[in-house]
Amino acid sequence: MTNWLERGFGFAVPVLIALVVSAVVLLVIGENPLDTFSLMLTEAFGSPRRIASTLSAATPLLFTAVATAICFRAGVFNVGVDGAFLVAGLAAVVAGFSLPAGLGWALIPACLVIAAIFGAAWLFIPGWLLARLEVDEVVSTLMLNFIAVAITGYLVNGPFLSEQSGNNVTPRVHEAAELGRLMPPATLHGGFLLGLVVLVAYAFWVRRTPMGLEGAWVGLNKRFSRAVGVSVQRAIILAMVLSGVIAGLGGAAHGLGQLHRFTDGFSAGYGFTGMAVALLGRNNPVGMLIGAILFGALASAGTTIQLFSNIPLDLVNIIQGIVMIFAVVELGRITIRRRAKA
Amino acid sequence: MIEQILAAGVILTTPILLAAIGGLVNRQAGIVNIALEGKMLVGAFVAVVVSSATGSWLIATLAAALAGMVIGYAFSLSITRLGANMIIAGLGLNVLAAGAIGFIMSIAYGSSGTLRLPDVALLPRVFPESVSEVPLVGPMLASLDPLTLFALVSVACLPFILGATRFGLWIRATGNAAPVVRSVGLNPQMVQETSTAFAGFFAGVAGAQLALASIGIFNEGLTAGRGFIALAAFYFGRDLPWRTAAACLLFGLLDAAQIRMQTVGLPPRLIGALPYLMVLVALVVTQARSLRRVK
Repeated sequence: MTNWLERGFGFAVPVLIALVVSAVVLLVIGENPLDTFSLMLTEAFGSPRRIASTLSAATPLLFTAVATAICFRAGVFNVGVDGAFLVAGLAAVVAGFSLPAGLGWALIPACLVIAAIFGAAWLFIPGWLLARLEVDEVVSTLMLNFIAVAITGYLVNGPFLSEQSGNNVTPRVHEAAELGRLMPPATLHGGFLLGLVVLVAYAFWVRRTPMGLEGAWVGLNKRFSRAVGVSVQRAIILAMVLSGVIAGLGGAAHGLGQLHRFTDGFSAGYGFTGMAVALLGRNNPVGMLIGAILFGALASAGTTIQLFSNIPLDLVNIIQGIVMIFAVVELGRITIRRRAKA
Repeated sequence: MIEQILAAGVILTTPILLAAIGGLVNRQAGIVNIALEGKMLVGAFVAVVVSSATGSWLIATLAAALAGMVIGYAFSLSITRLGANMIIAGLGLNVLAAGAIGFIMSIAYGSSGTLRLPDVALLPRVFPESVSEVPLVGPMLASLDPLTLFALVSVACLPFILGATRFGLWIRATGNAAPVVRSVGLNPQMVQETSTAFAGFFAGVAGAQLALASIGIFNEGLTAGRGFIALAAFYFGRDLPWRTAAACLLFGLLDAAQIRMQTVGLPPRLIGALPYLMVLVALVVTQARSLRRVK
C-alpha cells in the first residue's frame, strides 16, 4: 500500500512542479493558465478522434519507455534507445519496401523480426563493452546515438533515397507491410496494440521470470548478485539486448504504422521522452502507460493549441525538461543507483 | 586550400574548445556535464539579444557568460543538494533550455526557429586585414577573434591552475575523493557547484562566440550538437587541458574539411560521425589497456 502511495507521489510531484512552472510562464505572457490547461485537456481527450491522436502520439513512447526501464532497473544507464529506434526503424522500412510484396501477411512479422535483430545488435555493442571492458555505458550509448543519426541520415540521402520524392525520405513500404489503422481516419495504428503487448510482456518478465528477478538484483546490489551466483555480465548484456529488441520494435511500429517510410528526423526525441516516461513511472508498467499517455497528450494537444492560440508548442518541451529534472530529484536516492566508481 | 581549411578549422574549434574547457574542469570535480549543449544555446541567444541592444560584443559576451554561469549553478544544486542523477538532469536541462528559448522567441519576437535582430555587433578581429598575406597561416590569423585568443590563454593557464594552485587542488580532490575534502574541513558540494558555474561560464562564452563570430543571427539549431562534441573532446583528452585542446582542434579541422571532402565524393554525414566514433574507440582502447594492467 505504502509502495503505491510512494509511486503516486513520485509521479505526481514532478508533474505538479512542471504544471506550476508552466502556469507561471502562461501568467507572464498574459494567458489564463486554467483556460489553457482545460483547453489542452479537451484537445487531448475531448472526443474519440482526439483520444485516438493522443494514443497515436503515445505509441512510440510505450516502446522507448519500456526499453529504457529494462536497463534502468538492472542498473544499466542506457541513454541509447533513440539510436536503436532509428537504426531498427530504418531496417524495418527498408525491409518493408524491398522484400517481395508477394509475401503477404508474412511481410509484417518479417519486418518486425528484422527490426528487433537490428535493435538488439545495436545495443549489444555498448552492453558487451560495459560487461567485458567496463566501458562507461552513458558515454558509449550517447556516442552511438549520434553515430546512428549520421548513418541513417547518410543512408536515407544516399542508397535508400526515394526516386520520386525529393530528398531525405525513403520510398513507401508495400501496402501489405503497413500496420492497419485502428480508427480511420485517425492515425492510431496497430503499433499501439503491439506496444501494449510489449508492456504486458515486460510486466510478466519483471514479476514472473527468474531472469527478470535477477535483473532487478543486479540493479540493486551487484556484489550480492555475484555472491548468490547470478552472472552480472550476462544480466547486463541481456538487459541491453532486450532493450534493443523493444526499441527496435518501436522503430518498426513507427515506420510501418505511422510514417510508412523513413525520413530524416524519424525520431522526434522519442528515446529521451521515453526516458522521462520511465523515470516518471518508476519502471512500473502501469506508471509507464499513464506517463506515455500523458506525454502523448501533451504532444498532440500542444500541436493543436498552437493553431488556436498564441501559445507556442515549446511549452511542451519546457514541461518535459522540468519533469525529467524533477523526476530524478525525487528518484535520485530511491530507485536508480549508479554503480560506485571503481 | 589548406590555408582555408586551417582558417575555417580554427573558427570551428573555438566554441568546442571553450565548452570543453568548462566541461573538463567540471569533470575533474566529479560532475559529468551533459548540459553544455543547452547552456551554449542559451549563451548564443543572450549574446545575440544583448549585442543587438547594446552594440557591444564585449557586454554581449559577458552577459552570455553570466547567463551560462547562473544556469550552471542552479543546475548543479539539483545534483549536489537534491541528489538528482547528473546524466538525466543534464539531458532534462538541454530539453528545458531549448524549449524555453523557443518559447521566448515566439512570444517576444514572433519568430520561430531563426532570430534576426538589427545592429548585432560581431566579434572584432585581433589582427589587421594585412596579415592574410602571410603564407599558410595568414587567413587563419586574419580571422582570429578575441574569444579564440581567450580560449587559448585559458588552455595555457589551466595546467597551472589545476596543478599548482589551491583551488585546482580542491577541484581534483573533490573529483577523486570527496570524503577526504570533507575531512579537511572543506565543502565538496560547494566545490562542485562552483566548478559547474565555471563550466556554465565557459559554455556561455562558447555560445557567444558561435553566434557572434561571423553571422550574428541566432538559430535554434545553432549549436548542432557541439556541446556533445565538447563532451567527446574532454573524454578523448582524458580531462587534460592540452590533450583536450588537441582533440578539439582535430574535431574542428574535421568539421572544416567535411565541407570540402563533399566535393571529392565522401559523404559529409558519415564524416560527421567520426568524432563520436573516435571517442568510442578511444574509450575501448583505454579500458582494454587498464584492464590488462590490472590483470
